[in-house]
Amino acid sequence: MVKIIVLVKQVFQTADLKVDKASKTVVTQGVPRVISETDKNAVEEAIRLKEKHGGKISAVTMGPPEAKEALREALAMGADEAFLITDPHFEGSDAHATASVLAAAVTKILEYDLILCGAYSEDLYAFQVGPRLAEICNLPQITYAAKLTLEEHRVVAERDLENERQVVEAKLPCLVSVVREINEPRLPTLMAIMAASKKPMNTWSAADLNLEANELGFNGSLIEILRSAVSAGERRRIMLQGEPKDIAPKIVKTLVEEGVLKAA
Amino acid sequence: MSSAQEHGGVWVFSESPQITLELLAKGRKFADDLGTELVSIATGEADGQKHIQHGADKVLAISNPELNVFQVDTYTDAFENLITERKPDMLLIGATRNGLEFAPRLAERLKTGCVTEAARLELDAEKKVVLMDRITWGGNLTETHMSKVKPQIATVAKGLYAVIPADASRKGEVVKVEPKFKPSNTKIVETKPKTAKGVKLTDAAVIVSFGRGLRKKEDMPLVEQLASTIGGVVGCSRPIAEDLHWLPVDQYVGLSGQKVNPKLYLALGISGQIQHLTGIRNSRTIVAVNNDPKAPIFEYSDYNIVADLYQMIPAFIDAVKQLGKA
Repeated sequence: MVKIIVLVKQVFQTADLKVDKASKTVVTQGVPRVISETDKNAVEEAIRLKEKHGGKISAVTMGPPEAKEALREALAMGADEAFLITDPHFEGSDAHATASVLAAAVTKILEYDLILCGAYSEDLYAFQVGPRLAEICNLPQITYAAKLTLEEHRVVAERDLENERQVVEAKLPCLVSVVREINEPRLPTLMAIMAASKKPMNTWSAADLNLEANELGFNGSLIEILRSAVSAGERRRIMLQGEPKDIAPKIVKTLVEEGVLKAA
Repeated sequence: MSSAQEHGGVWVFSESPQITLELLAKGRKFADDLGTELVSIATGEADGQKHIQHGADKVLAISNPELNVFQVDTYTDAFENLITERKPDMLLIGATRNGLEFAPRLAERLKTGCVTEAARLELDAEKKVVLMDRITWGGNLTETHMSKVKPQIATVAKGLYAVIPADASRKGEVVKVEPKFKPSNTKIVETKPKTAKGVKLTDAAVIVSFGRGLRKKEDMPLVEQLASTIGGVVGCSRPIAEDLHWLPVDQYVGLSGQKVNPKLYLALGISGQIQHLTGIRNSRTIVAVNNDPKAPIFEYSDYNIVADLYQMIPAFIDAVKQLGKA
């Protein structure tokens, strides 16, 4: 029996995001919200562990009320219960403020052997919430797991590093973050989607977690965002027209002259 | 929270020797502008004298063999100990995978902010704080961040700063330190080298990358032939590796994949999602080939060729060979 908390984040489908150049903001209207890819791998891995060892999976998300959709998806995939941690005061949370809220939530859930999450979120790629949460909860952390096995009271994971796979073991309870190579997340069946609506869905606010206003959102953050600007790649955009056999010698010559290409 | 006056010194650390030297270059500039010292932390086999030759004023050399190999918990303890004692103003950490898990854990221990993979670091001369740009929202926005607390911590990717040439006459001090730490609660059982074939994308001067414009896996030799003709390394877009599995995931370029900085980046049949563009933004020259004149890649490329890559690649190979003969 293994008790797993899996953390999921709902993100906008990043491929569909566009920038409004006038207002310098990201246009999110009409863009689908999905579970961040690596978090989906974390849910899948939790289910596989449960299938092998038995146990219970609690899916947790912090986000706006819409994030309930992400939890429904996790339930449809196979999680047993879900916790939506939502409060208007969370607006503007940085990685520290987010990890603090999640720490309060997992502490309230109480019993767990393993916390699973994606190594990064698809929208921010900060790689921070997992390690910060592990620090607050005083847990060992194993990051970038591409393979995970559970043995009596301990986990063994293969960390996917730049040049090597590092096999690491830790005692439970422990936090493990996963990368996409670890598995192929399942698509829930229609039956599973229907059944998911009957599974427990809990909603907790800041007050439910006994969190004070000064710990939350902008006030509770250690990073201040001063400004944001549209990422602009300044490129020359020189159009070369004609038949490939005519363009090729020209572009090759240009690139050699620029010093970026050597003749064969 | 401590006041800014108590803190001084620019610290750099990476378990990667190359990134350490790059961070020393950036750190040198900050230390000069702030009138403070540049300190590197040397662990394991790191060569403290080399750090001094490349810009460090002081090297804190950790010689405890238990800290030879990076482990996030022992390093967090050790760095917390050093930082609490010496109170640096800022700490730049190499954004390796280990660095990326270390920086936020250490920052949380110290209850300070941390900026992941700062794309640009700049001093605000008046406030004496470092402004840290990071690319967010799937590559769409660049946000400027500031830490409310010190030390200010940022991770920095490889290849952003040019190393200061070694100067054997530079003077500096190597200080042996013995920070306190608890034994690790994780155990490294084994390390298995990855079976990497060829040069790594992040080190490549020329990258020939392809996307969904290539119709089938069997056509990959076409791309490989071009790459070998011009001494390049083959890369790809995310769907090729993650959805189609034609190439290992280490070989896709993008925000979530490899962030590259070649002299020449050839994008063949890549439409140009922001995800991909963010990975190639540090390339010197980008050439895009796509048969769709409306492909977004053409907005972010230096030379745009509207053509079928199946015709363009052989023509390109011919042209390079002709040039070699001339």
